[in-house]
Amino acid sequence: MALTGVKVIEFAGLAPGPFAGLILADNGASVIRIDKPSSSSNDLLCRNKRSLAINPKVPSGLQILKKMISSADVLVDPFRPGVMERLGLGPEVFLGGNGQKGLNEKLIYARMIGFPRTGPQKSMAGHDINYLALSGILSMLPGTSDRPGFPINLLADFAGGGMSCALGIILALLDRGRTNKGQIVDADMVSGARYVSSFPLIDVQRDPPRSFGQERGHNLLDGGSPFYNVYPCKDGGHVSIGCLEPQFFKNFVELFNKSLSAEFKSAFGWIPTPETQFVLDEWPKLRQYIEKGFLTKSRDEWGKIFHETDACVVPVLKPNEASALLGSNIPVPHPTISGSDRIDTSQTTLQSGKHTKEILQEYGLGERECKILLQDGAIAKL
Amino acid sequence: MSQFAGLAPGPFAGLLLADHGASVIRVDRPSSSSIDVLWRGKRSLAINLKIPSGRDALRRIISQSDVLIDPFRPGVLERLGLGPNVFLNGPNEKLVYARITGFPREGKYKDLAGHDINYLAQSGVFSKMLPGPPDRPIFPLNLLADFAGGGIPCALGIILALLERSQSGRGQVVNTDMVSGLRYLSSSPLLHYFNPAGDRYSGPRGTNILDGGAPFYNVYPCKDGQWMSVGCNEPKFFKLFIDKFIESVPEGFQSTFGWTPTPATRQNRQEWPKLRQYLEEGFMTRTRNDWAKLFDGTDTCVMPVLTPEEARDLAGDEGGNGSPFPDVHPRVAFNGTDFNTPSFGGDYYLRPGKHTIEILREFGFSEQERSNLVQDQAIEIL
Repeated sequence: MALTGVKVIEFAGLAPGPFAGLILADNGASVIRIDKPSSSSNDLLCRNKRSLAINPKVPSGLQILKKMISSADVLVDPFRPGVMERLGLGPEVFLGGNGQKGLNEKLIYARMIGFPRTGPQKSMAGHDINYLALSGILSMLPGTSDRPGFPINLLADFAGGGMSCALGIILALLDRGRTNKGQIVDADMVSGARYVSSFPLIDVQRDPPRSFGQERGHNLLDGGSPFYNVYPCKDGGHVSIGCLEPQFFKNFVELFNKSLSAEFKSAFGWIPTPETQFVLDEWPKLRQYIEKGFLTKSRDEWGKIFHETDACVVPVLKPNEASALLGSNIPVPHPTISGSDRIDTSQTTLQSGKHTKEILQEYGLGERECKILLQDGAIAKL
Repeated sequence: MSQFAGLAPGPFAGLLLADHGASVIRVDRPSSSSIDVLWRGKRSLAINLKIPSGRDALRRIISQSDVLIDPFRPGVLERLGLGPNVFLNGPNEKLVYARITGFPREGKYKDLAGHDINYLAQSGVFSKMLPGPPDRPIFPLNLLADFAGGGIPCALGIILALLERSQSGRGQVVNTDMVSGLRYLSSSPLLHYFNPAGDRYSGPRGTNILDGGAPFYNVYPCKDGQWMSVGCNEPKFFKLFIDKFIESVPEGFQSTFGWTPTPATRQNRQEWPKLRQYLEEGFMTRTRNDWAKLFDGTDTCVMPVLTPEEARDLAGDEGGNGSPFPDVHPRVAFNGTDFNTPSFGGDYYLRPGKHTIEILREFGFSEQERSNLVQDQAIEIL
């Protein structure tokens, strides 16, 4: 696989770090998660990783970590700025600097944090919702009339965080192929969320904006348009409709009209046509028509009606239904690079320290040295 | 690399690569207009693929390229004689042929038109996990499928394939679809959802910790209509937050409200409705900026929700000179040197065909050949 043979040391942390490590592991890298001794872990993004539980604040523990990182390809540091430096594991130790040679100048030292490293919030605690707040995109997201909604922790933690960090690491590996040198890759979730949200953020600052010129919730892509939206059906299920283009809207409106009963149409007293799409004044009526219309049949009935049509109407699936359609509960790594083996995605727990003994042995430590680490409190058990 | 003009995901993948130094040609149709704002650093070649000599010219260009991004429905490029086999089995076995579609390539909807909201619908993430009013979930514009589950995974796949190519000497086809990409992005919530011992998503939509169910992970309107984000999940952060909040509400607020939360309230779900109300009413007593000042520099995980303009100024993209374009993130140095994101020159759009002649010349088309293409109407002079 693309990353076979790549050795990654991932310091345990929340969401983004583990997700970056997962993407690397999913592409063949050997990932060791560094946990605190006697800690427990509810990290589910652990498949095919191993865990070494070791205390870097104990000198013998620090020595081991330094040795391991000196022969690793990638380090993932999820801590607030300064933490690794204070432990004696900062980037200059490995990459060199100030005239000093480093222990491992080929190392990709990836730092994954929430707020920008050099910004005013750099030392503050935060979570996805806070990073979204500073990115500018949260203010544009639909929600209720009095506040925006947020898509759980997908945008900052995972899209702007873990996945972006992994992308940076892989780019650095590509670059290393040419230069034979590592580098620091700094990823923060405010900047990452901004970058992912480039399109709306650029558009809204145009004068005038093209797609985001109206009040929140009144634009084409944020629920303002009747034909780019979600509607409940008779059975409580939902359909999504996304027919932005005139030819798709035409397909939709014709089929929708045809599928509604004569009673419905006469009771409603108005019927949309393909032209309705361009008449903004008619949108409130159109929205009501579509809203009421979808309520006359179940989600699956609508699914059947619109199947094989270019109307961009597709049922909203529950998680287990999507799993059934795609073949597994657990999302498979995506995209898969051709020629890569099928990853075993079954592992969803990794006990902290599970592979401590095995890993220490791999790094050449004998029984005596391991006992010393135990005595020192660098590790909690073997 | 060549990237066919298309909607969101293809352009974003192209942008990611251009932002890291790739030479990206956007292939447009002659006499078309373009509203693509994700064109930074790219050039445009406008060529009519209905004309045989136009197809031949493009085939020649792709044969000398490293990467192709195909955003069309399955079969479109094959029918034009530009499918992967044409290159990988012949003139360019080093080509990374990246295909991006909405629906899975082998699935039920593979030939149908769709948009972000439809891919979101099929992913399983929409129905149970995204917040919204009781009767339907809300979608965060077109960020999740188009960009987070589309453009980024596509770019990730391309770079992994380039990495693999540096070992194998060969290119490959990389298939990304936005339903699968979004599921992969959402690995953590989906794993939690399907975890039988888990409780992160065990309640109905909107009642869980990260989907607005928790009063301490939410957005609150302030006195001036702007918002604050609160994300203090951990007990120690919640304590810091609630202590500060209580001391910051006006005199008399506590007694009027008739109840005061404590750090222990965090664990007490029964008290959450009261806590939510307390916070709602409390936040209304000051403006957003007042609250922002109060919480600045603390580990309370409370941050103001910034407008796109404010976020831009905070980010200081391009030295704060007012560019609306979020900077590339993370930045990865290449060939040992950092680089500067191309300046925003004031053009939101890249005119289709702007660089046609320059590009053809670069790819070795003689004056005669170029003039033939004009005569055939495969290209046009702007």
